[in-house]
Order: sequence, then structure tokens, then C-alpha cells
Amino acid sequence: MLIIDCPYCGPRDQSEFSNGGEAHVKRPDGSAEIGDREWGEYVFIRANPKGIFYERWVHSHGCRKWFNCVRDTSTDEILKIYKIDEERPKLDSFKNNVKTPSGEPNLGSGNFTVKK
Amino acid sequence: MSELNLTDNKFIQFHQKIGFKFDGVKYYGYKGDTIASALLRNNLKLIGRSFKYHRPRGFYTCGIEEPNALVQIISEYSEPNTRATIKKIYEGMEIESQNRWPSLETDIGSINNIFSPVFPAGFYYKTFMGPHKNFWKKIYEPIIRKAAGLGKPPKEFKAVSTHLHHNVDITIVGGGLNGLIAAKSLIDTKYSVLLIDFDDQLGGILNNSNKVLSVNNQTPMDWISETVKEIENSKNIKILKNTLVTTYNYINHLIAVEDKFVGSRPLKDKVNSTLHKIRTDQVILCNGHIERFLSFQNNDLPGIMLCSSFEKYMCRYGVLPSKETVIFSNNSNSESLVFSLIKKGFKPKAYIDSRSGENIEPDLFDLIRKNDIPLYTNSQIKGAYGNKKLQKILVEDSSGGVNEIKTDFLCLSGGINPDVHLFTQSKGLLDWDEKDLTYKPAQAFQPTITLGSASGQFDFNAINKEINEKLVIFGIKPVQIKLELNTSHKFKIEKLWEVLPQKQTIWSKSFIDLQNDVTTKDIRQAISEGFDRIEHLKRYTTNSMGTDQGKISSINALGIVSDLLDKKVNEVGTTIYRPPYAPLSFAAIAGRNSYEYYDPERKSPIHNWHITNGAVFEDVVQWKRPWYFPINKDETMDEAVQRESKNVRENAGVLDGSTLGKIEIKGRDALAFMNLIYTNSFSKMKPGTSRYALMLGEDGMVKDDGIICKISDEHFIATTTTGGAATVLGCMEEYAQTEWPNLNVYMNSITEQYATINISGPKTRNIIEKVFPEVNFSNEAFPFMTFQFHEYEDTPIRILRASFTGEMGYEIYVPSNQALKIWEKIISFGKEFGLMPYGTETMHLLRAEKGYIIVGQDTDGSITPLDLGLDWMIGKSKKDFLGKRSLIRSDTVRKDRKQLVGILPTNKNEKLEEGQHIILDKEIKTPTPMLGHITSCYQSPTLGHNFALAVIKNGQSLIGTKAFASTPELKTIEVEIVEPIFYDKENSKLAS
Repeated sequence: MLIIDCPYCGPRDQSEFSNGGEAHVKRPDGSAEIGDREWGEYVFIRANPKGIFYERWVHSHGCRKWFNCVRDTSTDEILKIYKIDEERPKLDSFKNNVKTPSGEPNLGSGNFTVKK
Repeated sequence: MSELNLTDNKFIQFHQKIGFKFDGVKYYGYKGDTIASALLRNNLKLIGRSFKYHRPRGFYTCGIEEPNALVQIISEYSEPNTRATIKKIYEGMEIESQNRWPSLETDIGSINNIFSPVFPAGFYYKTFMGPHKNFWKKIYEPIIRKAAGLGKPPKEFKAVSTHLHHNVDITIVGGGLNGLIAAKSLIDTKYSVLLIDFDDQLGGILNNSNKVLSVNNQTPMDWISETVKEIENSKNIKILKNTLVTTYNYINHLIAVEDKFVGSRPLKDKVNSTLHKIRTDQVILCNGHIERFLSFQNNDLPGIMLCSSFEKYMCRYGVLPSKETVIFSNNSNSESLVFSLIKKGFKPKAYIDSRSGENIEPDLFDLIRKNDIPLYTNSQIKGAYGNKKLQKILVEDSSGGVNEIKTDFLCLSGGINPDVHLFTQSKGLLDWDEKDLTYKPAQAFQPTITLGSASGQFDFNAINKEINEKLVIFGIKPVQIKLELNTSHKFKIEKLWEVLPQKQTIWSKSFIDLQNDVTTKDIRQAISEGFDRIEHLKRYTTNSMGTDQGKISSINALGIVSDLLDKKVNEVGTTIYRPPYAPLSFAAIAGRNSYEYYDPERKSPIHNWHITNGAVFEDVVQWKRPWYFPINKDETMDEAVQRESKNVRENAGVLDGSTLGKIEIKGRDALAFMNLIYTNSFSKMKPGTSRYALMLGEDGMVKDDGIICKISDEHFIATTTTGGAATVLGCMEEYAQTEWPNLNVYMNSITEQYATINISGPKTRNIIEKVFPEVNFSNEAFPFMTFQFHEYEDTPIRILRASFTGEMGYEIYVPSNQALKIWEKIISFGKEFGLMPYGTETMHLLRAEKGYIIVGQDTDGSITPLDLGLDWMIGKSKKDFLGKRSLIRSDTVRKDRKQLVGILPTNKNEKLEEGQHIILDKEIKTPTPMLGHITSCYQSPTLGHNFALAVIKNGQSLIGTKAFASTPELKTIEVEIVEPIFYDKENSKLAS
């Protein structure tokens, strides 16, 4: 159970929030002109990486505001939370823990015993 | 009675005798006894039958790690799998043993033990494959389930539990020596502290053993009571006793269960258990260690117990499980048992140690020699033998000779493990300690501190140093605890996991998991079959998968595997310890979210009127909606619906539509926003008019529908389906905030602020003119799909002319607190015109006759507006709206998509059913290509026969042709495919 620091309300329990999937997926403009593939990717395709992930949350049982979040999906560590209109923080500003071949950090992941 | 002098035992109230029943026989114990200590007091050593082989089993431990002694508490809703070693007795308690038939002494299932050579690991997977796939489900599984297993699930059940949230700075798990010192040092600091212990007595090892002679020159008991008093009197520390921390989540979120009725019968109307949800900045784990057992032949016989458990029975419960016990150990942890036994005057019958004489602690060695206890060094127990109880053991001494010792009791110690379950749940990293032969916490992932034996620090002399180093972050004053010990302060161990038997037969069993009946032979077999990764091996053999999670044995399994594979234990790794630490009941987890509080019930403001008037209710999401209104108790639903429907078509009916979602949208850019959200165009709409509108997902599929009222370009009110209200509002908010933040628009739910009363039928105008005489309801003044604001006795109302039944109708929107008044007025004024209330079922029938869809019934998330024949609702001139681009995707323009059609049986007497498949052929062959299925089906009182809506492939071009509906009996009914409208195709009624 995470603690999420809502940029409008402050730190709150995860149960107050809903996850909104990958962040920074821009809805294509002038949608009639673009091709099936590009539109299909916008509608259906989302990243699901192990490691650092830019995602959206909404404080659905609170202020109902959407915001963005950078989270390490293998350890659940929340690295940054920023408002929806703020610029996407650069990836190299976060330490990426994922080192082992299977993509498991040796600490914080459930599968710590796999490490050599 | 094997009983010690109880006058010096402060935990057992020996003057308070307690009667309880075990397997129908009455026994007596004392207040403070667990089921186990009370039964041992009565010299009862056989407690249960094992899971697979039905072997007789006794008490192996004295705590939560118990693998054998699981019992059913008949007097508590027949609660199964209760650990007899921790559950306290109370007067009138009824207990039964588990997994035996007809009785514990004579168990038919124990024949499995004789057949055991044919039940190796993976036996079930390999054997019960044929001759037919149904054999497993129908024959093998029921038989195996009956024979193997734990307790029986309770039949009737109503436990009461509640949830409690805590937000504290520091949580100390475990109130033993280290936990108490840590808590004491935090007294009157700025931190709020929670001290949690599973026991009803704080003190841990000080209570359970004679290891410590004095603390700060006080007896351990005096030191504990003084310290606990100080902690209790502090303002910043709260103690939770009888509370087991089962789960350690991210981020420092602990879940603990508190038993509110320890040692007394739970009261029916009181909270039985509390689930504590604790959020904390720092966790201090002081939850101690667990002793391991050892594997040798028949190491499961009743009469075999762990050393520390034997000592705990003596110290804590004043019970001596046996007067003449043999001790077998490979480490220094057995020393304190030897000391305790000698102190009480029951010196052990023999002491067997796998270590050589010079490696045994000198103090222990002297103690044994001084008391003339037969000592076997460099020796091992080859096997234990006896009929339903231990009778003799075979000892191989240092010279290789085998000695037989007759004894009824044997105490084992195979080493100790820090209780790392919670630490690993927190995702901390463990490391194997070659010296102490156990996994120890190495690196915390969360703000976690481990203290004492929980951290793998087994040296009593290092306590001060460790606490002062680790707690320095809290700025506490350095602690200086002076300990005097009865035994050696350090822990020493030599490697021993398993002793191979003297004679290996196919019936030989050295257990590695007592609860799941896994033997060391199963481990060998699994490895030879290639299951050599520890996670695979665990699942193949079911090792450590019982309710005890292999607490006394899982590390032994790792040791054996590492030897067999010739790998270091660290390379073998451990399996993952997952929450919960020990089983907790669903009742505790459910808490108050059960029975009538499971889900909120939403009721319309007119709800009580519906009850008074005999409505039968239907659940629509959380709402209670009137389903139909039977006029007397003999009227069936079908009869009521036919009557209600006919009445709406001939006279008028009134429906409570308050549950429909209502959203108010305002803002400078409200028009632009609505044009983007819905398929329709609202630009040319005049204020005061309304429109039926569709909302799509970005995939082009119909997500919701409703009527949009335009008050002005900057103000709209939208209705949604009852079930879609929250989703539609959420979707609007999401797009307003994330995609079009440039639009100045705001939206809010007004669902519960307004009730909706729908009147429809040919006599509607007569009624409504009487109720609202000042309003002009003529076609010219109040045309179809327009709305007006009025006042009714100072109550502002909105009247919308719309229809979901196909008849002329009005919807009256009224503030909820005034709704009942207007509803009753309409009912009483409508009587002379034959007005009747109708429910959702009649509404469904009437709308289906008119071919109006219900989102979620006639659509399923894979239907576009084009599939529904609703092309006219799409604002083609609009540049963009949700899902617009998807409507021209190659998939959505396919010709053979499923499309909405009407279905009529050719023989008008035939009855169709929702869900029936529509097929082309009269004969059903396998496989039969399916065209689609019936989504809505009713008996029409107007048509006099069945009719249906269906979605079928290429349906629009099949209109006018014949097909067949298949029945569950594999028969077919000939049907006609028709336009999806059965009533008033010209729409003449709506505008009449």
C-alpha cells in the first residue's frame, strides 16, 4: 500500500487514488487525417516496463485532480510526483536500480533470491 | 499429572480450574493454559493425524510455529485449524481433533501410511491422469479431498471484527527483551510509539526460558513488570497485546490482528478481533527467533518436541511434558533446557550431541558431568520408534556402535533462525551466515531496524552495543542493561540437517515438513527429477506450504538441498516468505464490510413510497430500484409486467427515474467541450432544447447514452445511465484536465440532488395539466425534446418532454427533498385517468418494443453507433470527438460486424430467450457457425407474442430473411430477422 503525495492535498493513502496508466501519451490532433496504425497505437498500446515508469494517477476519492508520477515498478518506489502541466522529468535524473539480467533489482523486489 | 510446583508460576492461575472438552472427553486445566499445555497436563500426547499419511502426531512446539497440533474449536462456530499451542482454554470450550475417522486413536485413513511407498512427491500429478479427463474431477479428487486435509470449514458463521487505523512514528514488533529495552528507551521522547506483542504477557524469552538470571540486578519477572509499568505510564507509547503482525507492506504499512477474547468465550454481539492497519515511519523488528528441528527416521512420533518448547511448557505453563526426557542437539540452544530440568530436579535421561566434546560449551559439559547424565558426544539419533508414541530411540555413538535407549520423550534442537518472515515481506535482503548456519537480515529495503535474535544477533553480551548503535537515529540516551545469564552468552552450532536411518526400507520416513507430510526422500526424488530450483522444489514436494509455512523446517530443507547439489546455501536461495505470517480469518479481513455493510445501498427519495406500495426491488449497481409493483401477492412478475405495460400504452404510467446519472456542465467553453465528449453536435441546438446523445470510448465503441439539455452555450445538463454515472463524470474530468486543459469548463454530479419522475402514456397530458395547471403543455407551447423551468409551490422544477417508452411523456426533475410530495400528487391526480406506477422491467419491455437500446444489455463494449444503426447521431461535420477516428478503422467499417436487428418467432406461440444464439441452419451440427445472439427478449402485450433484439453478423443486410434461434436443449426455433422497432415506427405517439 503506497503513500502518494498528491500535489494538491499532500500525502495520502493509496486507497484514495486510481491509477491512470502510462503518462505523456498525447492524443493525436486532427484525428481524421492520421493513419490506422498511429491511431491504433494511441488507443491500444501502452508501455508496461519493469523499472522506471511515467504514469498517471487521479485522486479519485479526494480532490479528483490528475497528476503524473515516476515510479519504479519493480520496487514500487515513487521517485517523483508532478502536476499534469509540468514538464516530463528526464530519465537520467533517476537512479535506475535494474541491474540483474532478469530485470530484478537485488533489493526491494519480491524475487530477491534469484540473484547470483 | 506431570506438573511442576505452580506456586512460583505467575502466568498460570492454579486456583482457577477450567473444564473443557476434547473429542467429547472432559478435561481440566487452569486459567492461563493453552489447549496444548492443558492437554499435556492431562498426560495427553496424541493430538492429531497427519495430512497425507494419517500418522499419529503430538505437540511439537509451544507456539505459533506448531505444525501438528491443529484443532477444530467447536464452541466457536467450529473454527478449524486453530493452533492448540497458542489458543487459550476457557470454561466450556469444546475442541475436536482433525483429519481422523472414526477417532483419533483408531483412524482408518492411517492405511495411507502402509501404502505410503506408492505416494511419493508428485504422486497425484502422475497417477490420476486417466482413463478419462472427468475422472479427476468426479472420482479421484472427491476421494482424495475427503482423506487428506485439515479441518472442516464452519457451516454457520457470523464473526464480528473491526478495523482500526494507526499513524505512528515508530512501531516495535515484539515485546521481548529487546523490544522492552527499545520501548523503554523511547519513553517520553517526541515519537509516538506502538509496541505490539502476540502474547498476552510481555517479556518473550525471559518468560519462556531460564536463560537469563537477572536484568539490572533484578529478577527477570521484576524487571519486566517494572519496565512494562513504566511503558504503560508513558504518554507516547501504546501497547497492543494479543496482537499478531501478519503483514509488512510497502511503505511501512503493517497489518496486525488482535484477538479480543483470549482465554474466554467470544461474545456474539462483541467485536471478536480487530484488524490493525498501521502506517509508521520506522519499524523496529524484535520478533525473536524460531528453533529448528532435525530430520531422522520417524522424527514425527508423539513424544518428540523442540528443546525451547519443552522449556517454555515448564517455565511459562508449569507443565512438565515428561519426567525423563532425552535431549538431542547440534547447538548451544539446548543448554538452557538442561539447566532448567536439573534446577527442577528432573535431570534428562541422556544428552546426545552431534558435536565433539571439546566443541560443547564448557558450562554445559560440566553441568552434564556433575549430574551424572549419560552423555553421547559425536553421536546421532538414527531413529525413533514406538506405537502411536515414542518408546525407544537408537543412538549411534562416536565409535559407530548403536545403542538403544528406552524413553517416552525426546527434545530436539537443530539450531535457531531469526524470525525473518516480516523482514523479507518488507523486501529486505537476507544473507546466509556460515557460522550460525542460518539466513539473517542483511540489508533493509524500507526504514526497518532489526534487534536481537531477529537480526541474527545471538550474543546476549552484545545487546547494549546493538541497541545503542541502531537506535542512535532517534537521539535516545545510551542504554546500559546489565544481564546475568544461567547459560553461555554466545550461540554455537555445528552443521547437521539429517541423520540417515540405520536400515532404509520403503516405509522409512524422515520428515522435513511435518504438516504437509514431506519426507527427505521426497526432496531427493524431486531433485533427481530435475526440480532442483528451490521454488520448483517447494511446489513439487509441497514442502513448507502448510499453514505453518515450514517455520521449524524450511531452512533444514535448504541445507539438505545445498548438500545434495553441492552448492552453498546462499546459492540455493530461499523461497519467498509471503504474507500473512500466520493464517488470519477472512472475518478479520472483511471487518465491517460484510453482510448488510458489504456495499452501500442507494435509495431514491421516493423509496419509502415504493415499499409502502408493495414494490419488488431490483439491484441496479448500488441502487435499489422498483422492479415491478404487484397489485396483490398472487400476481406474478410476468402478470404484473404485462398489466403495467398495457396500462402505459392505454392510459399512463409513472416511473421513478431518480437513479439516472445527472451531470451539470458549465463554463465559457462548455459547448466546445460537449461537442468533443459526445458524438452529436450541440452547436445548432437552441437553448431550451434537448437531444439524445451517445458517448464513445476512444475505440469507437458505445460507452454510455443519455439526454443532453442545453440551457445555453455555457451551461448543459446531461443524464447518464444509472450504472455509468460515475464513469462518465470521471471521463469528462479526465479529458478536461489532461487533454483539453485549455477549455474553460467545470462539471459536477447532481444525481442525488434531483429526483426524476417519468410520466408517459396517452393520458399523460391530462394528468400533468392537473398537477401543474399554470404550465401550458400543448404541442405548440411544449414540443417534444424541449424543457422548461417552473416553480411548484416555491420548489424550482425542470420539466423535460422526452420518452423512453414510445408514448408521449414528461420527465420532472425536482429537488430530492421535495420529490415525494410531487410524486404523491401525481399519483393521486392520475388515479381518475388510470395512472399506475411501473418498474424497471416494464420500462425495459416498452423501450425494447420501440427499439431503444440499453447500454450494457444490447451493447457489450464491442458495438459502434453504426452497428446500432444510429448513424444519424454522429456529428459528421465535427472535426473531432471521443472515438471519432476509430469509426473509420478497418475493423469498424467491416461489413460483417455484428449489428442490431429485431427478431420475431415465425410461429407466434414460440418463446425466445435472452442469450440464445442465432444460427443459419435448422439442424445443429458441431461446430455450428454462430451469427450472433439475442440481447433483449420480452412478451409484448401489444403484439401478443414474443419479440427480441439481437446483434448478429451483417444483420442490417439480413433483414427480411429467416434464421434460427438455438435452445439449450439443442433444438431450434425458426425466427424472422426484422427492423429493430416493433411499435409506432412513424414516431407519431411521441409528438402527439
